[in-house]
Amino acid sequence: MLEARNLTIKYGRRVAVAGLSLKLQSGKIIAIIGPNGAGKSSLLRALNGTVQAAAGDVLLDEQPVVTYSRRSLSRRIAVVAQEADLRFPITVLEFVLGGRYAWSSNSAWGWETVRDLEVVQQVLHETDLEELSHRFLNELSGGERQRAVLARALATEAGVLLLDEPTANLDLAHQAALLMLVRSRCDTRAASAVVVTHDINLAAEFANRIILMKEGRLIASGAPEEVLTPVLLREAFAVTVLVDGHPVTGVPRITPVHEMPR
Amino acid sequence: MTSAAAVKTGGGAGILDARLTFRRMFIACLLLLIGLLLIIFGTSLMGSEQLPGRATICALVTYGDPSCGLRPDHEAILFDIRLPRIILAASVGASLAAAGASYQALLRNPLAEPYLLGISNGAAVGTMLALVFFAGNEWSRPMMAFSGALLATLVVYRLALGRAGATPERLILAGVIVTTFLSSVIVFVTTLMDATRIRSFTFWLLGDLSGTTSSMLTLAVAFALLGTAVLTINARSLNLLMLGERDAFDLGVEVGRVRLVVFIAASFLVGSSVASSGSVGYVGLVVPHLVRLSLGSDNRITIPAAALAGAIFVVIADTLARTVIAPRELPVGAITALVGAPLFIYLLRRGI
Amino acid sequence: MLLNHVFNSHRSQNIALLLVIAAWCNASCVRPNSEPQSTSLQQVREFTDETGRLIRVPLNVARVVSLAPNLTEVVFAIGAGDRLVGNTTYCDYPPEAKAIAKVGDTLQPSIERIVALKPQLVLVSTASQLEAFTKQLNDYQISVYVTDPRDLEGVFTSIQNVGLLLGKESEAVALVNQLRARTLAVEEAVKSRQAPSVFYQLSAEPLYTAGRDAFVTDLIRRAGGYSVTAEVPGAWPRYSGESALAARPEAIILPAGDSMGADTDIASALRRSPAVLNGRVYRINGDLLVRPGPRSIEGLEEMAKALHPEAFAK
Repeated sequence: MLEARNLTIKYGRRVAVAGLSLKLQSGKIIAIIGPNGAGKSSLLRALNGTVQAAAGDVLLDEQPVVTYSRRSLSRRIAVVAQEADLRFPITVLEFVLGGRYAWSSNSAWGWETVRDLEVVQQVLHETDLEELSHRFLNELSGGERQRAVLARALATEAGVLLLDEPTANLDLAHQAALLMLVRSRCDTRAASAVVVTHDINLAAEFANRIILMKEGRLIASGAPEEVLTPVLLREAFAVTVLVDGHPVTGVPRITPVHEMPR
Repeated sequence: MTSAAAVKTGGGAGILDARLTFRRMFIACLLLLIGLLLIIFGTSLMGSEQLPGRATICALVTYGDPSCGLRPDHEAILFDIRLPRIILAASVGASLAAAGASYQALLRNPLAEPYLLGISNGAAVGTMLALVFFAGNEWSRPMMAFSGALLATLVVYRLALGRAGATPERLILAGVIVTTFLSSVIVFVTTLMDATRIRSFTFWLLGDLSGTTSSMLTLAVAFALLGTAVLTINARSLNLLMLGERDAFDLGVEVGRVRLVVFIAASFLVGSSVASSGSVGYVGLVVPHLVRLSLGSDNRITIPAAALAGAIFVVIADTLARTVIAPRELPVGAITALVGAPLFIYLLRRGI
Repeated sequence: MLLNHVFNSHRSQNIALLLVIAAWCNASCVRPNSEPQSTSLQQVREFTDETGRLIRVPLNVARVVSLAPNLTEVVFAIGAGDRLVGNTTYCDYPPEAKAIAKVGDTLQPSIERIVALKPQLVLVSTASQLEAFTKQLNDYQISVYVTDPRDLEGVFTSIQNVGLLLGKESEAVALVNQLRARTLAVEEAVKSRQAPSVFYQLSAEPLYTAGRDAFVTDLIRRAGGYSVTAEVPGAWPRYSGESALAARPEAIILPAGDSMGADTDIASALRRSPAVLNGRVYRINGDLLVRPGPRSIEGLEEMAKALHPEAFAK
């Protein structure tokens, strides 16, 4: 279980996150939404210790994350960031095998074990990348690359997934497929995930809880139908929205109402 | 679907076969090592002086058995001049190529190269200072060369770090600045100082493999082996660093520690090769590039294979340097730059 | 050190035409033009310098700048040192030369300083490669005389030419006669002796030696030695260590104790050469060996004594 208590993050004198708390139960997905500059990514980065908290704690299974070694933390928390910076030709397989680094028996030197390969094989299958496993990553489409990034995170077998705008480069079908994959991880393996996203409707569909942030502060936190209200969304985004139910699933669906000059 | 089922179904054998294993690395390196030994053997038969072939081969194989009938002066040429120089060339090539491959992975830039980043020049200035201030102490040279290389590395790295991290353009620009600055320091010091003691600036700027002492040779070989081993041990971390420091951190790499270890090991490699032979350029660019082209980007194979291929490259380049206009000689750096600069332009044009 | 040596030597890449002209000229090149021309105020003579350039020089030259240490030595040796108003940082002999205003070093003299000194004549050596510079000086109406001594004969020629330019013909002729006599004496003493093979080591690492076009190669020959690199193209080639050892030099000569630096070590490649094994390594003041000037004869004498000690034993 991942927990943040009164977390404050500062960059110099600028406060990115101010005294925010959250609890991530196993099997659950939390979506963090909010306008640009709300501190969503900083919060996510603090959850795996990449960004140092100025005050407050992040606890993983009751232990502060800062007390974990890099490798043991990486076996428990995986990050899905924007697609990687690629200057060298590297195959999808090699890339995804990178997710097994933290499991290597010594600090760095070593070769993938059969177990590593089985895990990678499985996630390649899950992410529909088997066919592409010997292609070079920089020859793939943006969506395929993003799936490879997710595959690598899944290959870590971490119980906690932190996803930063994972669907930004994906088309409609792959957006849903990617989040469904995360969802099924959470359901079948008691994993949990924190997703930072701008896609509120997607968040409503897949998240158990939604955290709405603005300027580093928590505006609201709770089930999608509790948080996705016109009042709260106006407070956070300063836009008028209509909220109705998804025609199929019934989860809240929002539609911004723009006063377009006609 | 369970994990076991997936392995059994979707063409899993292909994936298993394609992974890089210790055995594959071992085979590739063994072939390169055999190639290197053959090249060393072959080039020790070549030189500005023609030695009797049969007797020379016999002497090489038996390490100077008198029954081979090699004249003493020919024996001196072979064992005192030619062979030490070839071995120095091999260790310099190995050092520079392994260092280049590591810098490239660490800095995420295929153009990163000890010579182009000014690291060789940093080592050269360090060596020159050692010669000026601690002329009597032979050990001060590699130590100061190492310090100079490390300092130049850190300066280039700092200069290259912008808001958006170290972009390739910033890195090369930082390298150009440091290189030209240190080149002028070299010319300045060689002009002002007693040049017989610190050698001419062509040595520092273009490299030269002639006339090393046996202790320097031992040092160069030992550093080449040790440095390459340290870098290879960190190769799996470099594989992840190659894709970005933040990604590597997220996946469990202790980025700061690995970066420091790699900087230090690479600086030792560059320092020892510059202290013994001046700045031989472009080895660290050409060789890792060719190795990656043929063996892929996994640093667990790129680094040791680049070391061996670099040794082969410099041995051949130096053989050319000492034979094409024999009995006159060319600086070996002129040969390596002749091959390297066009490749650099090609890589730059390809937009890497 | 190399720079300095290179400057003092002859340029290997001289244009063939100039070589022909220089050979044809020899000692007779500097001659007053048959019809002395006069400019507005001053008497001017025309000369052809040692590279075949036609130049005009005032009849009485009172202010001279020398851009090479060997030329400074020549000017002093013919008793015209008091007319030197400028020379280079390399000009350290005779000691009085050090007190003269410096116009920079030989490779990069300052044109501003030279113009400010208002010389009527600037003496240049071909080795310093100052073609563009020479043109610039011409624009300031300053005459530039270029010398091109390639061997001892060339040195004698240059001395006589500078004597003519400065109106010191008799002193120059007397000096040349004396130097020629000393040269002959050396040559006579070593004439019938077996010439030892000699390797001239300019620098150890990288190994540089004296090639075909180096002035010192001529000195070695005259001193009764046989330079193993006498046929190597160029003046100061980088040389293969194994070829140097394979040539089995019986003597090694190092420039040392000169203005360019301390004693050098023997190249590691030569440690097992006969010269080193027999202790026949000679360090001779490099200024005497590489500056084509009056003191070259001293270098010749020292070298001959080193190579043939028995010929000079009393």
